[in-house]
Amino acid sequence: MLIEYQSQRVSLWYFRLALVLFILQVILGLWLSINYAFTLPQDLVNVFPFSTARALHTNLLVAWMLLGFMGGTYYILPPECARDLFSEKLAYLQLIIFVGTAVTAVVGFLFGWTQGKPLLEIPLPLDWLIVVAALIFIANVAMTIIKAEVRTALQWMLLGGVTFLALMYLFGMPFYQNLNTDYYYWWWVIHLWVEGAWEVVTASIVAYIIMRVTGVDRKVVEKWLYVETGLFLFTGIVGTGHHYYWIGAPDYWLWWGGIFSALEPLPIVLMVVDTWMHVRERRNPIVNPLTWYYIIGLAIYHLVGAGLWGFMHTLPPINYYTHGSQVTVSHGHLAFFGAYALLNLTIFYFAMPRLKGINKYNDRLGKWGFWITTIGMFILGLVFGIAGILQTYLERFLDIGYSTAHLTMMFWFRVAFGVGLVFLAGVVITVYHLFTIKPSSIPAPEPVVTPASNI
Amino acid sequence: MTGKTARLIFWVGTLTSAAIFLWQTYDFHMQTPKFTHTDKLTEQVVAGKKVWHKYNCNDCHTILGFGGYYAPDMTKAFYRLGENNIASIVQHPDVMYKNSFRKMPQLNVSETETRQLVSFLRWVGDIENRHWPPQDEKFVQAYKLRESQPQKLDKVHLVLQACGGCHTFENQGRNVGGDLTTIANRITYDRQTLINYMINPQSVRPGVAMPPQDVSPQTAAIIADFILSLKSTKEVSK
Repeated sequence: MLIEYQSQRVSLWYFRLALVLFILQVILGLWLSINYAFTLPQDLVNVFPFSTARALHTNLLVAWMLLGFMGGTYYILPPECARDLFSEKLAYLQLIIFVGTAVTAVVGFLFGWTQGKPLLEIPLPLDWLIVVAALIFIANVAMTIIKAEVRTALQWMLLGGVTFLALMYLFGMPFYQNLNTDYYYWWWVIHLWVEGAWEVVTASIVAYIIMRVTGVDRKVVEKWLYVETGLFLFTGIVGTGHHYYWIGAPDYWLWWGGIFSALEPLPIVLMVVDTWMHVRERRNPIVNPLTWYYIIGLAIYHLVGAGLWGFMHTLPPINYYTHGSQVTVSHGHLAFFGAYALLNLTIFYFAMPRLKGINKYNDRLGKWGFWITTIGMFILGLVFGIAGILQTYLERFLDIGYSTAHLTMMFWFRVAFGVGLVFLAGVVITVYHLFTIKPSSIPAPEPVVTPASNI
Repeated sequence: MTGKTARLIFWVGTLTSAAIFLWQTYDFHMQTPKFTHTDKLTEQVVAGKKVWHKYNCNDCHTILGFGGYYAPDMTKAFYRLGENNIASIVQHPDVMYKNSFRKMPQLNVSETETRQLVSFLRWVGDIENRHWPPQDEKFVQAYKLRESQPQKLDKVHLVLQACGGCHTFENQGRNVGGDLTTIANRITYDRQTLINYMINPQSVRPGVAMPPQDVSPQTAAIIADFILSLKSTKEVSK
């Protein structure tokens, strides 16, 4: 048996649904690039406008990310607590509520039922259902930890991360009369998620997976985890200020936001260093090279997409020109893919073979998927970056008008569409490989450190 | 480094940052009335914000730089486009963007909603956000200049403000419905017919693409006089 507790199995449905949503998200992304690259007929635009497609693209992203995080948490919690989940039934109930709400939201968007806030378009009644699902999730995680007989730093770091995540969601729900206050709290959801709560969850899950596959001592891994999450939150919380430069807020935000967010790559650098050190000091042999591709790919891509690309336009004098342009699109794609899509895929490649009782899996197809998606997305990020620099330079530097800038960008969006097709092929290969994963014919090396001795 | 030091780094880092941030949040709320002129945040403006959300405008347009990057930023749209142009675009995007490489959906926004939306955009335009976005600052300056010197207000300004969204005059404005000088030389309407035409084009020429204009009869009269004055007399051309 490769999984230690039966209740770990609940995570499988979370992973499967997440993968389906991932494909849908990419297909809608391609549709968005067509909107940019070509002139569409008015009748089509009236029925299925860009705004609806974008709402679907971004909400599918959030949905599959959260499904991956929740599934991942359910997968690692039982071995971490040395007991089964508090309730499998609750875990399934929560999944049904979450997916039911998501499907209703998607159909609603198509008919114009929306809250009209970017990324948080889900209408209020559905928001409450999400809150119910989140409460069930947190209760289930908390009860499992409370009833456990072992205590680890990872347990409460995970619980803290998901509670922080759920709490921030509440700030996006009310109607704010003042637009600037609206966006002030909008960033409490978006920024404090991706540069706060999600980072904590990511760091915890990565720490767990690294500990399990390398056999590195738990004390060492947890020490790194404390320092990294501490730095993530130290730089990330006040770093929210880099979104408040142009919303009508006091001058000090330029300084606080600029300095703290310039420090934000620091914890990611630490993450790369510690991943590298743990690989070098591993005590267990490498069983599945592809899982390792993902772990190291995640660390490096995270640093490039979120750290480097974010740093490039976080300082106020630069951000004055690049804010709200395709430069942001470039950063958004590289950061979300590098930090969170790769994290989820790392979880899937770690957990899904084990859930099927496979120790060493055949990774021929998966390697194709890995290289096509990672290289494809990097080129896509560069193409968006070129479009963004063009837009910024033509529209805001030379001041020659919106239309001229966007007409020039159309070519680059045709390129983006082509690259997107390749990326989609990579995603389909990866998802197909994960769904049909098979044991490798090569025998797996024996582990030196068993998981049980490293609790 | 010991485990204890690592834990200390975590707690000190997180709590310091959270404390600074919460203080900043308190200060933000104290200062927001000054930066956003909350005294002008009327019910009409709030209703306009609801319209903005209802039609999901923000997933194509950015505002304060946030949202979709598919259509122009709306922060200073009131100064860039003017009231009448915003109304025409929102109600008749299919006509306004007939020749455009990018389309806006026909959302069937009602007339009341359009007025509320314009009030909202006017209020947003006044948010003191360090003159962002850079490309729209010239429109804000020009509007403020016109407002501060009404005695110097040129008729051309007035006409372009009202008609420049679709008509050009001496290479200014956007050419959707033709150049005003050309039109002036083509039409045979008298003053009153021209006024009627502007307010309700269908009543004069059924089937014409031009949407009804949101102008008072007085303004329409000024514009009519202006257009009719552009007619060149046959004698001169001979």
